[in-house]
Amino acid sequence: MSCGSLIRKVLMVAGIGAFVFASQKAAAQEETVRSKIAAAIVMPDEEGRIAVVLDLKKNPSPEIVGWLDKWKEGLIFMYEAEDGSIVPVLMGDKIEGTRKIAIRKLSDDAPVVDGTGNQVGVTKFELDLADTSSSLRKAMREVSDLAALADPDVEKRIKAIENSSVGQRQDKLPGLLELQKIETNSKANKALEQAIAIINLRSDDKAKRLAAAEFLGNRGSLPAFDLLKTIALESKKSGDKEMEKAALLAVSRIEMHISRINAAGTLFRGVSSGSVLLVVAIGLAITFGLMGIINMAHGEFIAVGAYTTYVVQNVFASGLRLSPFGQSFEIPGLGLTGTGMSLYFVVALPLSFLVAALVGLLLERSVIQFLYRRPLESLLATWGVSLVMQQLFRLTFGPNNVQVSSPLWLSGNWTVNDVVFGWNRLFVIGFALLIIVATWLVLNKTSLGLLIRSVMQNRNMAACMGVRTERVNMLTFSFGCGLAGLAGAFLSQISNVGPSLGQNYIVDAFMTVVVGGVGNILGTVISALGIGMADQSLQQYLGNPVIGKILVLFGIILFLQWRPQGLFVTRSRSLD
Amino acid sequence: MKKKPFLLAAEGINKSFDGFKAINDLNFYLTEGELRTVIGPNGAGKTTFLDIITGRTRPDSGNLEWDTDHDLLKLNEYEIYRMGIGRKFQTPTVFSDHTVIENLLLSMAGPRSIWHSLFGRVTAAQKERLAEILETIKLNTQAYRKAGELAHGQKQWLEIGMLLAQEARLLLVDEPAAGMTDEETYRTGELLLSLAGKHTIMVIEHDMEFVRQISQGRTVTVLHQGHVLAEGPVEKVQSDERVIEVYLGRKSKAA
Amino acid sequence: MNKAPAASKIRTPLLIAMAVFLVIVMPVLNVAGVIEDFTLNVWGKYLCYAIMAVSIDLLWGYTGLLCLGQALFFTLGGYMMGMHLMLMIGKLGSYNSDLPDFLVFLGHTKLPAIWQPFYSFPFAMLMVFLVPGILALIFGFLAFRSRIKGVYFSILTQALTYAAALLFFRNELLMGGNNGFTDFRTLLGANLREAPTQRILYIVSAILLVAVVAGCKWLTSTRFGLIQRAIRDSENRVLFSGYATANFKLFIFVLCAMIAAAAGALYVPQVGIINPGEMTTERSLEAVVWVALGGRGTLVGPVLGAVSVNALKSWATRAYPDMWLLILGGSFVLVVMFMPKGIIGIPAQVRALIAKMKNRGANSRQPVTTKQDAEVTEP
Repeated sequence: MSCGSLIRKVLMVAGIGAFVFASQKAAAQEETVRSKIAAAIVMPDEEGRIAVVLDLKKNPSPEIVGWLDKWKEGLIFMYEAEDGSIVPVLMGDKIEGTRKIAIRKLSDDAPVVDGTGNQVGVTKFELDLADTSSSLRKAMREVSDLAALADPDVEKRIKAIENSSVGQRQDKLPGLLELQKIETNSKANKALEQAIAIINLRSDDKAKRLAAAEFLGNRGSLPAFDLLKTIALESKKSGDKEMEKAALLAVSRIEMHISRINAAGTLFRGVSSGSVLLVVAIGLAITFGLMGIINMAHGEFIAVGAYTTYVVQNVFASGLRLSPFGQSFEIPGLGLTGTGMSLYFVVALPLSFLVAALVGLLLERSVIQFLYRRPLESLLATWGVSLVMQQLFRLTFGPNNVQVSSPLWLSGNWTVNDVVFGWNRLFVIGFALLIIVATWLVLNKTSLGLLIRSVMQNRNMAACMGVRTERVNMLTFSFGCGLAGLAGAFLSQISNVGPSLGQNYIVDAFMTVVVGGVGNILGTVISALGIGMADQSLQQYLGNPVIGKILVLFGIILFLQWRPQGLFVTRSRSLD
Repeated sequence: MKKKPFLLAAEGINKSFDGFKAINDLNFYLTEGELRTVIGPNGAGKTTFLDIITGRTRPDSGNLEWDTDHDLLKLNEYEIYRMGIGRKFQTPTVFSDHTVIENLLLSMAGPRSIWHSLFGRVTAAQKERLAEILETIKLNTQAYRKAGELAHGQKQWLEIGMLLAQEARLLLVDEPAAGMTDEETYRTGELLLSLAGKHTIMVIEHDMEFVRQISQGRTVTVLHQGHVLAEGPVEKVQSDERVIEVYLGRKSKAA
Repeated sequence: MNKAPAASKIRTPLLIAMAVFLVIVMPVLNVAGVIEDFTLNVWGKYLCYAIMAVSIDLLWGYTGLLCLGQALFFTLGGYMMGMHLMLMIGKLGSYNSDLPDFLVFLGHTKLPAIWQPFYSFPFAMLMVFLVPGILALIFGFLAFRSRIKGVYFSILTQALTYAAALLFFRNELLMGGNNGFTDFRTLLGANLREAPTQRILYIVSAILLVAVVAGCKWLTSTRFGLIQRAIRDSENRVLFSGYATANFKLFIFVLCAMIAAAAGALYVPQVGIINPGEMTTERSLEAVVWVALGGRGTLVGPVLGAVSVNALKSWATRAYPDMWLLILGGSFVLVVMFMPKGIIGIPAQVRALIAKMKNRGANSRQPVTTKQDAEVTEP
């Protein structure tokens, strides 16, 4: 340090530092964070700098964090002014026509000028860095942590609160207690309580330690889990029975909380993967369950829906070039962006239903109508159809997966009481609910539904009553296929879209319907949720999705030993 | 030889389907060699009762004893069959893709094991018996025709022939006259009568003319709502007021 | 007395002609240079498929059990043979280790215990039959005990196959994961890459096929055959004739699993590779297509179907690779709808059509099949 700084130190100590600053004509105004940090930097010795930095704690503003970081990262430089005083500066822009860089004062962002009023330029390595030592950095971290606690953004503030308990340092406590007095956000308050308790686990006051352990146990605090375990061990060594007991109790409570979280998470994932099954199987529950048609091409109808979504998405964007059978043609795009684009899914949903229903109608008229009452034959014929459809997808859209972008909002999540609810899974559940309600409404509240139910219950009787059973068959099959199409639109949002998309779901879909009891929609719902739940629980327990899946399949085979007719037996005369 | 009072004894049998009581505290006894006719309006539980005897349906409660020391409720369909209980279904149920003689061969009394089905030979005695049955059911000229090609009445007889081949002790015959011409009905009656004594027979029937023909003073049981309403000779039953009310009153054609 | 209807029976002279052609004529022509080694090898593959097709027909055409798991049994047999073949590679593999390459790759230094006995050829042969047989026994026992039949049986066998394929794709099973087994060298000391070895394998396949067809011919002519077809047409009636139908079905199911497994075991050394891709339901269904196309419920049909569809496939996948699945799928739909008796049934169908033309109007509509009706109208 130069002699100038020595003088200043004396002045500072003499308590006239303010005068010096003022005389520097930079900051006649009130002290800003910047000016304070600048003041700290120019302090002649370590203790002084630390003292000034720690002084920032009196008025912790979130701004502090950024400036201290700059200091730490070596972005603040020391410029020796003409009068010999040291000025902390920041590097600015290049000065036109020179190779020098303009500098600005840290304290007030004013450009540094020489005696003649010309801007001062420096070369890169001309200036010294404002140095930091480890004890200074420690002080800076302390101040930063405290300042972060004052961050107006609640999420950041909570993060800071959680950080402040790391290391369980007693000196963090006052700041937290201060904050607790003024904090109004309930989430932040909870975090505060937890952080304070965690620090209190290392309190000198045993009563406080015991209370903290109890509090954390009751709270089911996840970050305190390992700390409490350590404390239990230490207390055991030191023979502090009371503390050991309290810590162990808290640990066991947290363990319970963790298992509850896991259970809730598994339940949620189970419901959501059950919902996927349900959406995939509901169409099959209609064609297979109600009509007795074994539609092996069901998976391909799902793919029809997914590809429809893909086409709609591209039409909304920049268009699409397809080349089936070597014939290339182009579908023009609307070139939408932003909100217009994000609405594509709303259009794709009904369209995928309609397209799949239409293809279903064609299939019913050309093949299925000849195969009623011949379930095995319908199985074989529709498998042939599924081969043809898969190949058509390949020829039209290429053998690889196509890109269907899912909206951003599907990637967020929502945490309640330590349980994470992903938006995509919530979307899945919501969609399943929607489809179930819609199907129920169609079957129970429309005249088509009445016809469907009458034909399925007693074909001959319905025919005698003048119901055109052939038409009802046609519409029912087409409705089931439409639902498969909807499932496809839905799956396009959460998985890959490719020619063999349907193949991945067909076995699961059949299992779901068989377990639920053929001909029973409610059974399908329950079995889908049950299988989804079993699948997720086994996955959680075994940590291996494939083995879990295999076990579920064997579980289903065993289940059918117990109830060969599925969960709900429907007295149907159409199937033996 | 110990005396066997009843060949079949059903006591306190109950069975309901979705809340509907098909069989309600049914008590029914059959002695060896008897030809019993069971009548009753639609939904009286006649076919359900046969289903219970043959193990097709399990009752909710009750006892079903065979030959005094076998509990039929513990056995399944083919075990009950092997006890010597044969059933002719209401609609002729024959193997339509098999020839008449193959149908009979399949029903032939004898071991039922896989081994025997692979390596067992048809004995001379069995061949004789087959010819005899073909004679009895008047299908000897049709022996090598597919059963599916037979006329309705002939299918009915073939099915009775299958019961004979089985050498069943108890023949359960469900509406043998259904869908038959008068001529065929009469000949069916003759056939059943000729079997009475050699076999125990239980006939379920709607056609009162036919019932009169085969009962000939033998006991007739009237079922109503899954319960025995009356029992006795056909004339007595027909004059029973309760029977007239529930049965004849409702189904005047049957009178 | 025990005569099965002529339609579902292969005549002895035809069987002998088939045997002579496949077992003697083809190999002789090969030795004479008329048939290329490659062609004979391809035919060996077809014949293995034909054996599997016969097993499917015995289940489906004769017993009414549409099993979508025959490819699983076929592949399992192949895997058992493959394990032996893998060990026979010895130190010739790329890692020059006694262990099969994939095990070295997975970091194994010792041969896992289950692999050990497969050094013995007789043991491997025993396993070819036992493993699929026991799986079929357990699955069949459970399925038939709870009276799962018709499409439910199909769907469950489909699920079984699916589950097994998932399992075999795993490396943990120590069955080579999705690469399976390949790069075989010798079998019983004979070099698999030499034509004479392949010719012998072809002959063995042909003999096995003839033996299986002859065996099925005998089986279907016994009373067992009668019961089999009776179960197909009206299982309940069979039950009410005193037969424990579940046992009969179990017997035929296990037998067919073993037949398919034997075919798979012969297939592997001829093709030189086995992997879980062969185990899928699609493969089973494809084999069902052969049977349906050839004519189910007959013994020539499946053989005819397997050979002709596969020959067509070999040609079409090269000539029109994009069209093959369209052809296969499309023809399958047409066969199911219009030719329920397959190629074998065409003459009869044509005769019926001519007869119908002659007395047009006399009986206007004849349903294609009436099998289901018997079952449904039963009380």
